Amino acid sequence: MPADPNMKILVVDDMSTMRRIVKNIMKQLGFANIEEAENGQDALTKLHAEAFGFVISDWNMPVMTGIDMLRAIRADDKLKTLPVLMVTAEAQKENLIEAIQAGVSNYIVKPFTAEVLQEKMNKIFK
Amino acid sequence: MVVRSPWPVMSPNRDVLEAIVLNGNLKLYAELGELARYLESAMRKMTEVGAPMVANSAQLPQATAHLLDLNKMTEEGTLEVMRLTEIIQDNRTRAVKDLSAITSTLQAVDCSNLAARLEKTVNDLTQDEKHLMDIMTALSFQDLVAQRVKKLVTIVEDVQCKLVELVVVFGLKQEGTPPETQGKAGEMLKQLEASKSTAIKQDLADELLSEFGFK
Repeated sequence: MPADPNMKILVVDDMSTMRRIVKNIMKQLGFANIEEAENGQDALTKLHAEAFGFVISDWNMPVMTGIDMLRAIRADDKLKTLPVLMVTAEAQKENLIEAIQAGVSNYIVKPFTAEVLQEKMNKIFK
Repeated sequence: MVVRSPWPVMSPNRDVLEAIVLNGNLKLYAELGELARYLESAMRKMTEVGAPMVANSAQLPQATAHLLDLNKMTEEGTLEVMRLTEIIQDNRTRAVKDLSAITSTLQAVDCSNLAARLEKTVNDLTQDEKHLMDIMTALSFQDLVAQRVKKLVTIVEDVQCKLVELVVVFGLKQEGTPPETQGKAGEMLKQLEASKSTAIKQDLADELLSEFGFK
């Protein structure tokens, strides 16, 4: 099912610059309904409070990492089908395997281009 | 006939044991002496490196602070570039929209040449949108730098912890002993510190320049 341009997207990263980059790219791709979170715990609070259609998350964050947040999402009956895209500097094979086992929808390694983000998103929402 | 042994008569078991113990003690004393000499030499070397170690460990919090400043400065610079890029993006989006509307109007009134020229301008602007997006994504370098710096800070703090442990365990800190020469690293840290507190901003520099006749 193609992505709904009005769906609410949650961008999760402890770096404000990174959140701004992802938000900018999503806006250029036609998705303007973006919210931000600084870590996995903050993200879960927002996910429980409102309905989101997509999560884009970093891995290494304080308080709660992206991988732990992903596991919590997949363990939650209300959130388990939520698409989650990891955008992270963790480029080891073990990290990718761990993310797949945790139920990630797709995985991007930083640094990335807008085209890669679009391509991965299209694969998730085909 | 009684045969007398030319050797002194000894109680075989007790005397042999005494000889073994005596021999063993001599060896033990020799090894203990060797160990004591080794320990004394090691302690002397520890004391020799102790003073510079204490001095260097005192610089580590400064080094950590500078690394964290680096993160902050790159973040501020990056956010400013992003802000300006977003302004340009928004302006261009509006311009494309307006020009497209004008192009449609011109085509409707059969001004095809002018419409074509405007369409070319719209295409150029649209191409620049990609470049602007590439500028935004290239700025993700700041995130990668910040992550590396955070790891460096963790390493430096860990080293500092271990140095402090060494100082405490071996009692290397001596009251009133001035630190030995701090070396190049110490000098550079001092310069960094000085630049933070004494660097002037452009407007003050301009004021001073004008006092000296610079227009």
